[in-house]
Amino acid sequence: MIGKVLVANRGEIALRVIRACRELGIRSVAVYSTADSDSLHRMLADEAVCIGPPPASGSYLNIPAIISAAELTGADAIHPGYGFLAENARFAEICERVGVKFVGPSSRVISMMGDKSAARRAAREAGVPVTPGSDGVCENAAEAKRVGAEVGYPVVVKASAGGGGKGMRVVESEPELNAAFTEASREAGAAFGDGSVYIEKYLRDLRHVEVQVLSEAGGKTAAFPERDCSIQRRYQKLLEESPAPALPEEARTGMMDAASSLVDALGYEGAGTVEFVYSDGEFYFIEMNTRLQVEHPVTEMVTGTDLVAEQLRIASGEGMGVKSGGSSPDGHAIEFRINAEDPRRNFLPQAGPVEFYNPPGGPGVRVDSHLYAGYKVPPHYDSLLAKLIVFATDRQTAIRRGLRALDEFAVAGVETTLPLHLAILEDEDFRRGGVSTSFLAQRELRDDDGFLRFIPVSASE
Amino acid sequence: MSETRSEENRDGAQVGGKPSVKGSLPLEDVGRLVDLLRESGVGEIRVRQGELEISVKAKPEAPAPQQAPGVGAASQEEPAPQPEPPAGANGLHAVRSPLVGTFYRAPAPGEEPYVEVGDTVKAGQPICIVEAMKLMNEIPADISGEVVEILADNAGGVEYDQPLFRLRPE
Repeated sequence: MIGKVLVANRGEIALRVIRACRELGIRSVAVYSTADSDSLHRMLADEAVCIGPPPASGSYLNIPAIISAAELTGADAIHPGYGFLAENARFAEICERVGVKFVGPSSRVISMMGDKSAARRAAREAGVPVTPGSDGVCENAAEAKRVGAEVGYPVVVKASAGGGGKGMRVVESEPELNAAFTEASREAGAAFGDGSVYIEKYLRDLRHVEVQVLSEAGGKTAAFPERDCSIQRRYQKLLEESPAPALPEEARTGMMDAASSLVDALGYEGAGTVEFVYSDGEFYFIEMNTRLQVEHPVTEMVTGTDLVAEQLRIASGEGMGVKSGGSSPDGHAIEFRINAEDPRRNFLPQAGPVEFYNPPGGPGVRVDSHLYAGYKVPPHYDSLLAKLIVFATDRQTAIRRGLRALDEFAVAGVETTLPLHLAILEDEDFRRGGVSTSFLAQRELRDDDGFLRFIPVSASE
Repeated sequence: MSETRSEENRDGAQVGGKPSVKGSLPLEDVGRLVDLLRESGVGEIRVRQGELEISVKAKPEAPAPQQAPGVGAASQEEPAPQPEPPAGANGLHAVRSPLVGTFYRAPAPGEEPYVEVGDTVKAGQPICIVEAMKLMNEIPADISGEVVEILADNAGGVEYDQPLFRLRPE
């Protein structure tokens, strides 16, 4: 087993990794910026190294500082968490070169999956259904028009190096294509330094469904029951659940099989997530995230697997403690992301002292968070403060448990997305299950005597 | 040594009586000015925002830091995350590590150390090396003065912002 792991991250995910290390008897090293000197991850790790100033570019994204900290502390592995350097192929490559085990897949696989058109090609070659569209990058608008005529409108122009909706344009009909192609390409060039774009058929009313995998790179591969992450705001997930409600069994097994084939074809090592769009019984590959995800706890709750411990076992070369193949969910889990954003003021980010903090407890409740009363939320990083995960035998019970736990959850000092989640759980469509990714866009938040409630936006949307 | 001083607007209007300063110009910004001052080696930086003017001066001759009441009150609420007493408490200045790495007192193994306790150094003069990823980074003194104490162990690890030397400003 690995002896000492440097955790190249902060916040709740750094704690999550430190906790797994402690349970496995692995020593942990926290790294922190000067803005995080009062953070729990610094306090709970066995050792801690200050790596730089508050801006992430000088600290949590500072590869030389992190590698030096690993060398100084004698860490034999680096766990990148999610975000920051987790999907940075160059970082993984440097780790490989200096002989520190990167907990994750090889730099080659990270780099291939980070290039969206290469990822689509790899998926297609592995027999995974991809959205009908261009075969890799579209060189010019004329080629885009040919693809548009072939797959039918609407289509979407997407940045090959992209993510988060940047460099993306929905095109309703051919006359709009020229302008959209140029704009998307320019935006992609500005945002990612790479203006190449590709074209896909645009699917309406789609759901975001994804499959967690674990693989030993050439050895065993396990695919876990799917997660539904359709509740999103501006392409940011807010609420995730497993299993996906009202999903036909053949779609579920089809996605798990597809994810396994892709992972085997890649020679993938460690934990990853294959993301699909699901619409009307059909599913298509979108992308693969080559890291642990924020929403991994819902899978842990319905399968009893410790995904972070499995990552560390695989990285140690010990092999995973999970059997190959697919598995079925036991119960239902929902995760709520509690962000430091004010839903009453257009999700304005919040920073400052947490005056009071009392997370919920009781049966079927899990809270992953780095908060404590007196902690100051720094303005420099991600707004995620806590993840509340509820678990129950079925979805209806999980929803009632969620309402109870959200109501108990007390955070004072900063505004959070807690009231938004209560509104989601009260929504009839959500309760029925199987809503699309436009769920939030189709609703407007209203303050009703101190409680947030949804009202539908104009029916045309 | 560096010190921060919040000045009233030039006519002497009170700043200290306005706790709302916290929202308009947080302490971190002052901290950033201090860092900038250290890195740039200039003598003074002034920033004006509305009625508030902040001036940060490198003032080696000052015996003790002066703080306007407004900033003083704010700093109690937000203790600077520095393990060391602020430079200036005893008139000494701490040279801090600009990066994580291994601290070396000499340019190469077997050679004489850059400086010893009691030496006088000039601002800009290399006083140690911090090695990170096989790169030797010469660290210069940020002010001129006498080396009073060497705080890090040769060939030991140092963190970002860790005090390495204490200098008595010239």
